[in-house]
Amino acid sequence: MYNVWIVFKKEVFRVFSDPRLVLTVFIVPGLSIFLIYTLMGNIIGSQMSEVEEHRSLLYVEHMPDSVLPYLDELMRYRLYDDTLTHDELEEKIREGSLDLVVLFDPAFDAKVASNDEPPAIQVMYNQGEQHSARAHSRFMGVLNVYHEAVVIDRLSDPNDYQVFSMTSDNFVDDRQIAAQGFAMLLPMLIVIFLFAGAMSIGPDAIAGEKERGTIATLLVTPIKRKDIALGKVSSLSVLALLSALSSFIGIILSLPSLLQMDDNLPDIAIYGAQEYLIILVLLMVTVLFIVALIAMLSAYAKTIKEASMLIMPFYFIAMIVGVMNSFGSEVSDNIFLHLIPIYGPINLLSGILMFEYTMVNFVVTVVSSLTYTAVLVVVLNYMFNSEKIMFQK
Amino acid sequence: MSELIVDNIRKTFKLSRKQQKIEKTDIKKKVAVDGLSFQARRGEIYGLLGPNGAGKTTALRCISTLIKPDTGDIYVNGDSVLKDAFRVRKNIAFLTSELKLDDHFTPNYLYRYFSNLHGVNATEMEQRKAMLFQRFGIDKFQEVKIADLSTGMKQKISIAIALVHDPDYIIFDEPTNGLDVLTAKTVMDYLLEMRDQGKAIILSTHILNVVEKLCDRVGIIIDGKLKIEGTLAEVIASHEDKNLEAVFFDLMRESVGEDHV
Repeated sequence: MYNVWIVFKKEVFRVFSDPRLVLTVFIVPGLSIFLIYTLMGNIIGSQMSEVEEHRSLLYVEHMPDSVLPYLDELMRYRLYDDTLTHDELEEKIREGSLDLVVLFDPAFDAKVASNDEPPAIQVMYNQGEQHSARAHSRFMGVLNVYHEAVVIDRLSDPNDYQVFSMTSDNFVDDRQIAAQGFAMLLPMLIVIFLFAGAMSIGPDAIAGEKERGTIATLLVTPIKRKDIALGKVSSLSVLALLSALSSFIGIILSLPSLLQMDDNLPDIAIYGAQEYLIILVLLMVTVLFIVALIAMLSAYAKTIKEASMLIMPFYFIAMIVGVMNSFGSEVSDNIFLHLIPIYGPINLLSGILMFEYTMVNFVVTVVSSLTYTAVLVVVLNYMFNSEKIMFQK
Repeated sequence: MSELIVDNIRKTFKLSRKQQKIEKTDIKKKVAVDGLSFQARRGEIYGLLGPNGAGKTTALRCISTLIKPDTGDIYVNGDSVLKDAFRVRKNIAFLTSELKLDDHFTPNYLYRYFSNLHGVNATEMEQRKAMLFQRFGIDKFQEVKIADLSTGMKQKISIAIALVHDPDYIIFDEPTNGLDVLTAKTVMDYLLEMRDQGKAIILSTHILNVVEKLCDRVGIIIDGKLKIEGTLAEVIASHEDKNLEAVFFDLMRESVGEDHV
């Protein structure tokens, strides 16, 4: 084990002794995620509030006296005070300089009062323009309220309008809402961060040794290949976990902006010590598997570039599994699905975050992940022993 | 049996399609080393001379236990590289010509790392490090990152870390390749010093000048086969030539034909 420790220390020291590596492996991922997501959240938020607060510019012909009070009450608007032709109106709507055109029947109020012939309303808007779409939506709301008022007025007994009465009780549990949010977002992001963290250091630690020729110097030392494999995998796992942690902190800190949560952090205190412990164990076995996989592919590659190319398809698969989990249906409790590498841990993680997991599935996932890791380490050990892979490929 | 014996080794490699294309051949297997035998004794420098692709590096990799010969065996101080590779590794130093040290480390760190891997105790490590670093002029740069050092300094550090465990058998592949005259002289002087301390040194090179200056015995290898072996004087005398270069070209002509020399 002493030799494993020597190799472990060297790989960890290699990263921590280089400020550039510390920056790129631990600082930049979290910081960039925080900045990008916060920026995205702020841009989306400011766009939403700008649309919300915008006073719609309306062109109205023959404004009926009966409609005006509803419009004044239900809509923030200002009127275009010039007279335009139909073509000019269409042009202004298309270019976005007018939000909404409403052409009322000149005898609108009289026709409504007589109830012989329904008066016409022509509306022009542009769904592609946010302000125009919003003005149209609001104006439809105004007309609905007006329409309801007129119908009630026409009925001899206003109670005839009421078809049913309804009470609605929402027993929403904030804990459940938060859990669903976490379960949708975090498993996908965590697996991506773990993979990205391992990818940023794994290829250099093994394929880099081959590329530089230092693998020969390492392999002529009197230590077992197994110790080299274990030292590399364990050190890379710790580094990948730390890198993923950086990204994780970045995403947690940016969540309030991203989800427009009024600067309140989502309440991660909904989970107890047991959940956190189980998640920690799950993350550790998952990162071990990912790192062992990356180490094996890096050992096969001749150069860092080749290693990165070999790893990329597996990264995409992990991303697809993560996205499927996020936007898929419910958490599966099928024990056999928990045997599938990457998918099993992601599925279980979703289950843990939603308080829908069993200890049997947890044990199956952990044992299977550790078994796959052990197999990959054995393969890695074989590869370090293979002169064809180390020196001839 | 305090010597290094290479006993009739043969090593073949499968050629990939890419390699077949590069070498313009349909042959699926290439014989890199073919029936190679020689001995390197303690207290001498054995020079393995040959053109590029002659099989020198393959032979040295077999000796250093990195690859296994298909047939034959190699004995280092009586230990077989096939049966006792682990024991052999404790007794040898190997310097590959392709080595590029990791830019992120300092000479001091790398020296300690390899000392630890070789199981050198702390006191011995510090003493030996001080001696080697002083000998090669590394001491002033021991905390400077490899990335910031010159090619010559990097090569001297590579040599120092190959020798952390004070091995008796030293296998160096092109140790002076690409070095300036001063650095090359430092390296060559130290090789002579180690020889005088009773080490067995196998040196692979295609620089005839290095062989003439350093080697007590020489083996010329062409197409994986040892064409001639002996002391410098014996080799030159065997072909009634004036110098090693003329012998080398005679052997090349005999092996690959006049057109290829």
